[in-house]
Amino acid sequence: MTLAAVLGAFSRPAVDWHALAPEVVLLGAILVIIILDVIDEERFRTFIPTVAGFGLLGALVPVLTLAVDGTDRSLFGDAYAVDNAALVLKALFLIAGYVVVLISIDYIRDGDYYENEYYSLMLSSLLGMLLMASARDLIAMFVALELLSIPAYMLAAWRKGSQKSNEAGIKYYLMGVFASAVMLYGMSLVFGLSGSTNFTAIRDALGGSGDPIPLMTIGILFVLLGFAFKVSAVPFHTWAPDTYEGAPTPVTAFLAVASKAAGFVALLQLVFVAFVGRDDVVQPLFWILATLTMTIGNLLALRQENIVRMLAYSGVAQAGFMLVPFAVSTDSGAVAFQAVVIYLIIYAFMNLGAFSVVMAVARKTGSGQISSYGGLFSYAPGLAAAMTVFLSSLAGIPPLGGWFAKFVVFRAALDAGNISGAILAVVIAVNSVLAFGYYGRVMKEMWMNPVPDGDETPVRVTPSIALATSLTLVATIAFGVFPQIVARFGELSSQLAL
Amino acid sequence: MSDLLRSYLTIAIFSGAAIFMAGMMLGIARVLRPRHPNREKLIAYESGVDPVGGEWVQSQVRYYIFAVLFVLFDVEAVFLFPWAVRLETYGGFGLVEMIVFIGILALGLAYAWRKGVLRWS
Repeated sequence: MTLAAVLGAFSRPAVDWHALAPEVVLLGAILVIIILDVIDEERFRTFIPTVAGFGLLGALVPVLTLAVDGTDRSLFGDAYAVDNAALVLKALFLIAGYVVVLISIDYIRDGDYYENEYYSLMLSSLLGMLLMASARDLIAMFVALELLSIPAYMLAAWRKGSQKSNEAGIKYYLMGVFASAVMLYGMSLVFGLSGSTNFTAIRDALGGSGDPIPLMTIGILFVLLGFAFKVSAVPFHTWAPDTYEGAPTPVTAFLAVASKAAGFVALLQLVFVAFVGRDDVVQPLFWILATLTMTIGNLLALRQENIVRMLAYSGVAQAGFMLVPFAVSTDSGAVAFQAVVIYLIIYAFMNLGAFSVVMAVARKTGSGQISSYGGLFSYAPGLAAAMTVFLSSLAGIPPLGGWFAKFVVFRAALDAGNISGAILAVVIAVNSVLAFGYYGRVMKEMWMNPVPDGDETPVRVTPSIALATSLTLVATIAFGVFPQIVARFGELSSQLAL
Repeated sequence: MSDLLRSYLTIAIFSGAAIFMAGMMLGIARVLRPRHPNREKLIAYESGVDPVGGEWVQSQVRYYIFAVLFVLFDVEAVFLFPWAVRLETYGGFGLVEMIVFIGILALGLAYAWRKGVLRWS
């Protein structure tokens, strides 16, 4: 028998290029950046951030045409889906990536860094996130996770000469690889028990009325805990503050927003599709994680003196709020799914906004200490006002976006209609008050305290940072005043087979 | 015991047999063989040549880049060989796919070349 006869005839796989267009455009942008870098590094230096920005906006175009088209597409043997949920999240990743590119331009140009590599790696990581939004299969999900993580490890260590940045990169890398190993082990157990890597097949195989066998519990726990590292849930958060402090600030913004969002996107698919029949394992796990993450993140944030570390711990606490709907995943169903998506969208804008103000201020003061924000209002009233909006939004004060995000999470917890949901709602309420302690402290510095060194020269805000700040500012206010905009995205995304 | 665990029993028995066989052969050899250690026998083996320095030598960090490039093209070869065997059945589609794949890899090599990675000094 010939080899060809054994392998059978080859039929050309049908590829839906329209569905893959966002990824193809982004890959094209990455290749263009590398080609320009190879042709003449010096000549195209100023041109490359533009290519990166337009690549991201260009990738947004097919996302919009796919949304207008509206049909759910499934590719590669159901491993890859392009539906409303995937499209909403892809758009979020692309816009967040665009804002990060905007705040990166000056920082990367003025420092002594590799420039062109920075943008191609950041776009590669975003490509991984686009894949993650569509992955409906354990293997596709793992490939997407590695594609988004490995460039991020390198970006965290981008300040080559700085020991802190090297520490950030190494810590992030080691913890990330460890989490991947745990997750892979869990995936192998889940595959062994269900006989498939496809999420819907896993759902059908694992779900059932009986108690889960211990091996199944371990498999599910390991897979979910691997992503708990990624979203820096307590007690797996220890890498986050050191990595955030040491990494270049734009990269920190990228990790705190886009990378974290990617972790939540994966958890959404796992909890609401693959493991939906196993709420007896999933719900208690997330109940514990959410309670711990909210409370400990907030308590540690209260003690921080460095603004980036404070934002890192505040990010941990915010992740805790986003974990709440997972703890009531079956009890609240679609409401819980929407709550996570809405929180992700609003969190991305308000947190990116806060980081862009931090970047603008650091260009003048050169310091990350909270005390260096003293008297910001007297010499940079615009920045101080913008920062106040972002911090109030993070604290959840109406009528800013953060208010609506907290509200939907609160509603999801109460919708469960049981004791555990009610306790979670109380924990959310207590933590919202607690969080105001540290956000308010920065506001007090800006508005009430004197300038520490008496230097009142105005802050020179570069056009790209000004654009990033105003984009996020408009979004943060608009989402709070007209919450139906973002609620609509949430509704669209939750039209899953729930 | 579930079917899954039962199939692991085979692996356990197999591993046990392997450990027993290897241990038995080494153990018997240790009992039977004469032992006359001297200085020449105890030094590190370096293909019959007199060893230079200790076993814990530092190797040039520059080899690392070559190792990475080697892995890159090794993986390429892994994909290329089965593809070449079946090229006729894959037809034009397979050809285009492989050109795209090789093109991206070649861009990586061009990048490494341009950045002076391939120069030794």
